[in-house]
Amino acid sequence: MTRILSLLTAALLATSAQAQNPATVRLGYFPNLTHAPALVGLERGIFQKALGSAKLDAREFVSGTTLMEAFAAGQIDLAYVGPGPAINAATRGMPLQIVAGASEAGAGLIARRDSGIKTYKDLAGKRVAVPSLGNTQDISLRHLLKEQGLKAQADGGNVNVTPVPPADVLAAFAAGRVDAALVPEPWGAALEAQGHRVIGSEKTVWRGGQYPTTVVIVNAKFAQANPALVTAFLKAHSDAVAFLNRNPAAAQTAVNRQLEKLTGQKLDLRVLQRAMTRTRFTTSLDLNALNEYAALNVEAGYARSVPDLKTFLNPNFLKK
Amino acid sequence: MTTTSPALDTAPTRRRSSRWRTLAWQLAGLALLLALWWLVTDVLKLYPPYVFPSPKAVWTEISYGLWGSGPQDGKLLSAIGNSLRRVLLGYAAAVLLGGVVGLLMGAWRPLRETVGAYLTGIQSVPSIAFVPFAILFFGLNERAVLFVVILEGFIPVALAVSGALMNVPPALRVAGRTLGARGLSLTTGVLLPSAVPSILTGLRTAWSFAWRALVGGELLVSASASLGSQLEVGRNTANMALVIATILIIGTIGGLFDALLRALEARVRRDYGLEVPQ
Repeated sequence: MTRILSLLTAALLATSAQAQNPATVRLGYFPNLTHAPALVGLERGIFQKALGSAKLDAREFVSGTTLMEAFAAGQIDLAYVGPGPAINAATRGMPLQIVAGASEAGAGLIARRDSGIKTYKDLAGKRVAVPSLGNTQDISLRHLLKEQGLKAQADGGNVNVTPVPPADVLAAFAAGRVDAALVPEPWGAALEAQGHRVIGSEKTVWRGGQYPTTVVIVNAKFAQANPALVTAFLKAHSDAVAFLNRNPAAAQTAVNRQLEKLTGQKLDLRVLQRAMTRTRFTTSLDLNALNEYAALNVEAGYARSVPDLKTFLNPNFLKK
Repeated sequence: MTTTSPALDTAPTRRRSSRWRTLAWQLAGLALLLALWWLVTDVLKLYPPYVFPSPKAVWTEISYGLWGSGPQDGKLLSAIGNSLRRVLLGYAAAVLLGGVVGLLMGAWRPLRETVGAYLTGIQSVPSIAFVPFAILFFGLNERAVLFVVILEGFIPVALAVSGALMNVPPALRVAGRTLGARGLSLTTGVLLPSAVPSILTGLRTAWSFAWRALVGGELLVSASASLGSQLEVGRNTANMALVIATILIIGTIGGLFDALLRALEARVRRDYGLEVPQ
């Protein structure tokens, strides 16, 4: 019995000993244009400069769901992520705070040129790619389908919603494995450049384009232990956003260099330019849009109740 | 296969009481596990709920998923239905295919020595390793899943059938021949009936292989409602309770079918006189 108790205590200590080491700041992000502030901040060294002596450990993820897994395991301190996974994780009780906005809009529904899809209605019986189940684009696709009276196969309908990493969508289209995709930029513009058809632009997909696509989250325990680091990071984040808006051409080069490094795909600058015009970069957070998102999350069946998002939002770090 | 020994007259009652005792032990073990789980999660809170949820949270997911009445409820039920349909279809095809291949291998030595050896090799490859191939070959759809299920299911059946045919006692073979059975009639009239117990063991192995392959395949091809996709949805929405609920359901269904096949096997073995009732 004493042995069991000592084992349990050991396990208890092990869990509570996962306190963050402020010597490193672990940042999660994706190789998408919607995460451009992260890409610019990394490429131009803005983040590392702001963090001073703390080492920046940046890790790329395919989608919000894989990122949130690492977050749950306590391996991520700060992250750029879509509101869908962030809200889901917060609802499940993860120590998470949404501290700033990063980008808005910047996701479109593209159909393969020989798929015969011309309107949303034609999605019936087709295979549609999203970055992953339960992520931001998946939730907005399900809402879009519902508005058209369609349903995903998993809900008893006939639209096959398939998770495909955004950077792999070009290959999936080329091989004919999917008929359409709701993807974040720059992959939408990249598909369009290959002659595929835009069915829903960033504006028509949802809320006239007034919706957050990427937000910045922080591990609440990390924020409590290292408020100065969070403030410094968010200052750098604001700088990156300002740079993106002030100097789009230079920002595009920086983004492209990071994308090539991360995905092995170098995009045509014109593609990136078009993708940029469809994405807005801002640090502000639209609580109404986030609340609507949480409602869509329930509608998609990924949660049973809309949480009080105000308890998860913490814009104070940004204001300092 | 009746026995006249007076010592075995009380066997059925003794068997029944030992069966009850086993059941009691099993229930006690289950209660202990649940208590331990509850202790670690609800009482000691060793892990945050999003990493290791309490039994209650998992039960909530099960009840919503199986008999909930909300618009988004009942998904586990439809997932179970879909997965069962798929595995039964795949299993039936696997048994049919495995039976034919096994018969051919049993009848023809060169085939046994080539295909039989390859099948043993393929069997050692985990089913999930075939999924990427199946996806590229068939596309991200149900056929890819069925392919893996059939592949995994048919090998144990084929090996069991051919092995069982090999192990038929020579006396039965000779007796059959003496009574005039030749070729096909020897196989269907003498060899197959005497091989039934071993074939049943193969069918049970095939079931567990097929069930595992199904869940693995569905995990990667998670488009339509299935137990595998429920695992994926749970993972993607940070809903660990749903993940554990699905694991429990997968285990229960797999175990129930295994018990069913095991009972059938035990019955047949008893009837064949391979096991003495105790």
